[in-house]
Amino acid sequence: MLPFSIILKPGLPIAEQVIFAVKKSVVTGQMKPGQPFPSVRIVSQELRINPNTAHRIVAALVTEGVLVTTPAVGSVVAERILGDAGRRASLLARDLEQLAVEAKKLGLTLAELQEALADQWRRLSQR
Amino acid sequence: MNAIETHELTRHFAHTEALAGLNLVVPEGAVFALLGANGAGKSTALKILMNLLSPSGGSATVLGVESRRLGPVERAQIGYVSENQRLPLWMTVRQLLDYCRPFYLTWDRTLEAKLLAQFDLPPERKLKHLSRGMLMKAALLSSLAYRPRLLVLDEPFSGLDPLTRDDFMQGVIEASDFGRWTVLIASHDIEEVERFSDHVGLLESGRLRFSETTESLLRRFRRVELRSAGSLTRPAPLPAQWLDWEQSGELVRYVDTAYDPVRSAWEAFPGASVAALPMTLREILLVLARQQRRDRKGVAA
Repeated sequence: MLPFSIILKPGLPIAEQVIFAVKKSVVTGQMKPGQPFPSVRIVSQELRINPNTAHRIVAALVTEGVLVTTPAVGSVVAERILGDAGRRASLLARDLEQLAVEAKKLGLTLAELQEALADQWRRLSQR
Repeated sequence: MNAIETHELTRHFAHTEALAGLNLVVPEGAVFALLGANGAGKSTALKILMNLLSPSGGSATVLGVESRRLGPVERAQIGYVSENQRLPLWMTVRQLLDYCRPFYLTWDRTLEAKLLAQFDLPPERKLKHLSRGMLMKAALLSSLAYRPRLLVLDEPFSGLDPLTRDDFMQGVIEASDFGRWTVLIASHDIEEVERFSDHVGLLESGRLRFSETTESLLRRFRRVELRSAGSLTRPAPLPAQWLDWEQSGELVRYVDTAYDPVRSAWEAFPGASVAALPMTLREILLVLARQQRRDRKGVAA
């Protein structure tokens, strides 16, 4: 069983979707620092995705500092990412850029975007 | 090294040209999906690669060997499963495996047992009494158990129910040997393929329309929607990379085949609000197929 939740949607690159799902589950605390991360083979089998793609996903998560690899143990969730807020926010840099681009394309103002974001934030905080 | 390479491969049948100069490159380690409509030449290409059919012209190399010279050494490293596989139907599943095993030095009995259980195959049942799905799984098992370096699948999913398809995919992944393992899969079943492949090629009338990584394909296609209070003028001529232009009042929709998030429609139409929506592989193929049909009519007219 995979320790993070994901429903793959067609049309979007699979690696991006999985990387986002993993980051999200780390940020929300679904996966804890030090927790073992499944092997490339397990990721590929569980999601029925190509092992090459699964390998790229794990490599990207290691590069971005979400996972750390120890030779004997495999990959585990990094201790540091939940450390300081700046580092946590940097995890979202790419997503924020994408959000800003999409919002501009839709003709939203920064205030409107912030309001929409705040709505979403409150919705999640209620749970 | 490339696992497969063809150069200007052609094949004529009595009245048709099945392949019209196919240049296909499948890098080693790729999971390559060869897509295309019925009659686009997928099966013909695969049969030539497996040396079950000889080409009319051009050449094909498989695992570094000319396809017409594929011998026992190469065959022992290739798994081929086709929709119309001929199997010794009088054998039981166990007899089939016993029969195949000695041909392969790399046959892995542990993997064989694992797949047999996972595929839920009845070992003592005769092949002729298996359902179509079971039969395909038996064929796949006998081609996966020796962990081939190259796996070639010709329409593996056609007519299979979702559970059998899932078993099938899981089996293929089970036998995979990361990085040293190449798969070429010809299929109509776009959903399975979209998840699984990292390269896609589209065959149209015996030629490749495109061949690239699945990611780059999904990245470059976008359905663009423009909305503007003023009027939007259709650029003339329409950029060649824009397809399916539709306009109704203040709303314009088209498909950008080379979408660039930085300089895209919002530069061409200042003031308009622009949304660029990702497309599924199925939608992309439909747009291209419609365009091909229009082009053909255009040529005929």
